[in-house]
Amino acid sequence: MKFIGLVLKGARRSKRRTLLTVMSVAIAVFLFASLRAVLDGFNAATEASSSTRIVTLRSTSLFFSMPTSHAEGIKSTPGVQDLTWANWFGGVYKDPQYFFAQFAIEPDSYLRMYPEIELTPEDRKAFLDDRTGCIVGDGLAKRYGFKVGDKITLQVGIPIYGTRDFDFNVRGLYKSGGAAVDNQSMFFHWKYADERSIQPGQVGWFVAQISNPDQATQVATAIDEKFANSPNETKTDTEKQFQATFVSMFGNLNLLLGSIALAVVITTLFVAGNTMAMSVRERTTEIAVMRTLGFPSSTIFLLVAGEGLMMAIVGGIIGVSLARLIVTPDLMQAGAFIPVFGVNNANAVMALLLSAGIGIFAGLIPATMASRLKIVDALRRVA
Amino acid sequence: MALIELRDVTKTYKRDAIEIPVLDRVSIDVPEGEYLGLMGPSGSGKSTLLNLLAGIDRPTRGSIRVGDTETSSLSERALAGWRARNVGFIFQLYNLIPVLTAFENVELPLLLTNLSKTQRRDHVMTALGIVALSDREKHYPRQLSGGQEQRVAIARAIVTDPRLLLADEPTGDLDAKSAGEVLTLLQRLNKEYKKTIVMVTHDPHAAERATRVLHLEKGTLVEQTPAAVGG
Ligand SMILES: Nc1ncnc2c1ncn2[C@@H]1O[C@H](COP(=O)(O)OP(=O)(O)O)[C@@H](O)[C@H]1O
Ligand SMILES: [Mg+2]
Repeated sequence: MKFIGLVLKGARRSKRRTLLTVMSVAIAVFLFASLRAVLDGFNAATEASSSTRIVTLRSTSLFFSMPTSHAEGIKSTPGVQDLTWANWFGGVYKDPQYFFAQFAIEPDSYLRMYPEIELTPEDRKAFLDDRTGCIVGDGLAKRYGFKVGDKITLQVGIPIYGTRDFDFNVRGLYKSGGAAVDNQSMFFHWKYADERSIQPGQVGWFVAQISNPDQATQVATAIDEKFANSPNETKTDTEKQFQATFVSMFGNLNLLLGSIALAVVITTLFVAGNTMAMSVRERTTEIAVMRTLGFPSSTIFLLVAGEGLMMAIVGGIIGVSLARLIVTPDLMQAGAFIPVFGVNNANAVMALLLSAGIGIFAGLIPATMASRLKIVDALRRVA
Repeated sequence: MALIELRDVTKTYKRDAIEIPVLDRVSIDVPEGEYLGLMGPSGSGKSTLLNLLAGIDRPTRGSIRVGDTETSSLSERALAGWRARNVGFIFQLYNLIPVLTAFENVELPLLLTNLSKTQRRDHVMTALGIVALSDREKHYPRQLSGGQEQRVAIARAIVTDPRLLLADEPTGDLDAKSAGEVLTLLQRLNKEYKKTIVMVTHDPHAAERATRVLHLEKGTLVEQTPAAVGG
């Protein structure tokens, strides 16, 4: 314990270098924690997906639609209990930079099948009763200051909806009761969009409620078989796979984010290791003096390694704290497909362990250098 | 029995394939309480000899005994512990740690002992008192004059109360006045505190303070009396 003071004094010696090391670790840890938060968001959304909801798309792609007439066929498939549908609206609020997701939904059935959209009974009723009403997530509301009673105007983003702007009345703010639904979206009546569509009666995707999750595959196959060889063939998956399809639209995220994190960590290792080696080289005489006074080489090793570890952990704490402050669903401009999850405790602990790991590995060589120093050679170097 | 006993100590350095002989079969006895001066031209092996005594270097051949300890046969770790307990080393360039205050510099060797914080404080203040720098405990080395720095270094060397003080040209970098103070201090440590001192020096005035002076030339010894050195 009495050596802690020595370690601290050592780190204060070259403030700029200590700052550089601390900040490089802080940045690495910040990036690591942020990237993990994004991955956590994806995984949580996938994990939390209901296993009793299956999603039917046009087999070609997410961006092609199907006729409403498919509803009958899906509903009559054995095992299907309930059905709803939705469209991606893609409207523009003020300016494309204010991006958020808007879904045109069949309101009654959608709210019934997605209990994760939590609304007060009054708001729910107000929304259902208003053809041009909408509900917005509380996170989104906070971001743009939406309140119940506000009017939101969206410009048309997909030409199929004509050219006239859409006006909506905010009828409620919903809370997200599960990661399958984020709190950054807007939902409104499918009919309202459909009325103005130049190609009415089109649905982006159907969601079916099934009675037994174990039958998901059979039911999905049965649905797709119904529409096989029709002009509108379908592809039905569990909600989990549907989420995964969304994710895969961004390429192999896990690998990409993983490689970025790895590159940053390795760079930091070199930066921290190099600055520490520099400071050991500068302190050659001092280390030789301490050895002359009787400090064993093991103690010297621990002092140098301890200094590196301390700087790295301080950097780690800064990085994690920043990530916790900045990477939150409310502060990030979260899009529809990128659920931002925030830095959870497991992530924070991992990031701190990472910083400690960086500290230990970066300090290994400099500490060994310091402890192996030959006293007389080191003393002669100045004389 | 002498406190220090060097027997046929030989030291050669290897540079690439060439062996450089530095000390050649040097034998010295230093009785307890002696103040020994070591003189000789530059490169004659004085520092090498002192480093061997201090246990920060090892002889190529021969034996070194200090007290009951055969230092030339101790392991690295044991030797470090032995140094901490038995040797105070004073360098020509003081070698204080620049980021530590005078107090912290003097306290450094005590961090290796089991003393409590209060006991360490007592020891440090006593040592600073002996070198007459009690009022400078909070100063950093750059805020001290060369003479004061060297006195702090002496306090650091005596704070563990070692029986042996080794000084390598302790006045080599000081003006005459500061050098005089440092020499008086060393003399006091020898007389009043019964420290055995071995001091390497260039300076005949410094050597005059010693009770005995040895001359080293090209790695071998020539014994002379202090009177003979003065002339
Ligand atoms: N670590 C070393 N490696 C190689 N040569 C050394 C080393 N230390 C000392 N020497 C050589 O040994 C000789 C004596 O050095 P030293 O003991 O420092 O002399 P002095 O202190 O009397 O001036 C010199 O020629 C020096 O170059
Ligand atoms: Mg010398």
